[in-house]
Amino acid sequence: MVMTSEQRVEATEIAGKGRSPWADARRRFFRNKAALMGLVILGFVVAFALFGNSLAQWSNEELDYNVMGQIVELGGPSIESGHYFGTDDLGRDLFARTVQGTQISLAVGLVGALIACIVGTLYGAVAGYFGGRTDSIMMRLVDIFMAVPYMFVLILLLVMYGRSITILFAGVGLISWMEMARIVRGQTLTIKGREFVEAARATGVSAPVIILRHIVPNLLGVIAVYATLLVPLMILTESFISFLGLGVQEPLTSLGALISEGAGTIAYGTTWQLGFPLLFFCLTLFGLFFIGDGLRDALDPKDR
Amino acid sequence: MLSYILKRLAIAIPTLLVLIIISFLLMHSAPGGPFTSERELPPQVLANLNAKYGLDDPLWKQIGSYVWGIVTEFDFGPSFVYKDRSVNEIIAQGFPITLTYGLLSFAVAVIVGVSLGVAAAVRHNSALDYAAVGVSIGAQVLPNFVMAPILVLVFTLWLGWLPGGGWQGPEYWIMPVIALSTSFMASIARITRSSMLEVLTSNHIRTARAKGLPERRVIMRHALKPAMLPVISYLGPAFVAMITGSVVVDIYFSTGGIGKAFVDSALNRDYAVMMGVTILVGALTIFFNLVVDILYGWIDPKIRY
Repeated sequence: MVMTSEQRVEATEIAGKGRSPWADARRRFFRNKAALMGLVILGFVVAFALFGNSLAQWSNEELDYNVMGQIVELGGPSIESGHYFGTDDLGRDLFARTVQGTQISLAVGLVGALIACIVGTLYGAVAGYFGGRTDSIMMRLVDIFMAVPYMFVLILLLVMYGRSITILFAGVGLISWMEMARIVRGQTLTIKGREFVEAARATGVSAPVIILRHIVPNLLGVIAVYATLLVPLMILTESFISFLGLGVQEPLTSLGALISEGAGTIAYGTTWQLGFPLLFFCLTLFGLFFIGDGLRDALDPKDR
Repeated sequence: MLSYILKRLAIAIPTLLVLIIISFLLMHSAPGGPFTSERELPPQVLANLNAKYGLDDPLWKQIGSYVWGIVTEFDFGPSFVYKDRSVNEIIAQGFPITLTYGLLSFAVAVIVGVSLGVAAAVRHNSALDYAAVGVSIGAQVLPNFVMAPILVLVFTLWLGWLPGGGWQGPEYWIMPVIALSTSFMASIARITRSSMLEVLTSNHIRTARAKGLPERRVIMRHALKPAMLPVISYLGPAFVAMITGSVVVDIYFSTGGIGKAFVDSALNRDYAVMMGVTILVGALTIFFNLVVDILYGWIDPKIRY
């Protein structure tokens, strides 16, 4: 994962017939049927998000005046009208809307997890590397932050500074760096006692360089596992907020916002408005959870 | 034990203070004051309003009196939108409702989750085990805001068995409780199962079996208690997530708990009520974590006080 293919070839040549830990992990991952299924499901969802628009007959903004006012009778899923997933209560094509919602939900998940990873890794590595008083103050702060009801604070922020998607992206990421920081700190404590770190320190390498060049690369396995498990949590958080109408705003939409719309209109009998976004939401989460579990088993065989 | 509890309290109290101060500063730095509206108020009126709510005091004094009001009289101040209601009244109206279905959901999640997990572990690799694992994996992707519309669709619109919303009697409790507890029940079942499987292979269980104790007693007396440790440490985060989920329940089922007060105040920009709810939830979280810590220390004698 961190090696380029040339390096990998070189590594196998040096080691003769030996296998690198990464190759081992890859083998374990691909033998795991659930993880493979997750990969296929996620691949399908990502393909839907990326290429779905070229299949759509309608754009996500067009109103179909033919079905307007008669959504229950005419707005259902059908091939002839070009609305594969039906339309929403305004007559917009649900297929195009679901593509858009999936794109945004995946993006929030990725960006949120990325922010959480960067902040958490740096924080945890710094706390673990310096140790002593710095460590105990930093970790005590994490303890305090963990008791904050984040969903409420995030909603507070969204209301105060406008419901912009930037705040949503950043806020979702900043909710969950703490757990990451704890895990990384624990790992750093074991790595910093190793010889190569000692050697770097003895040759006068500065602390930031040691952390970035010697410690963080050795944590990549742990970070990768935790990041994959973070993405679905980020998507859940975003969907939760959007379900309440406080997250992504029109004309943008997310799976949570679409589920919310669908949930609001089921009483009229337009179940497809709930069903299709819900299906893609569940597929996305399923895929990501399975891949995350598979990666954990593959990269960290102790922790099962 | 007492010093352990005191040590935990010594962490809990500053945490609460930090939470109050952070949310106060957030509110203070928000663009636009509480009296900013479409219609420009005459400066004299604005000054009087600011004086009435103490908004012309220096910042430290405002924070001080806010914290003092909460600590001494449990007073969160007046609402910024409803001139005749205090934050306390608004919260007091919804809190008993949230507490009712919250505690019920919590009990359901723990009891069903633990029973399912133990049953699956005891009958490892049986049909029951596979069913339990299947249910818990499936329920992982069914958070409250997914469960709520599905339940209404099936039980209200298709079958017509349950009322779709409101808060008048026990039949109104069923769907909120199921919606709120499903995903936690699944997580608890999964954690219980794997922890129980591990405990069942340990030495003290072999000894208990070797001395001829009935299997039932081995499970209930010797295996269950140590197997509960990971479950208990999950209860803290689960509790927080459940309170958060009550917002969805309140909105979707119109149950009228504090979640509704929170979202209404968010839409009205009634910062005083939002802060009050946030601080209340934070205090509950901190209190609950304290209980979990104490419970943990009581079950696991290896934890040093």
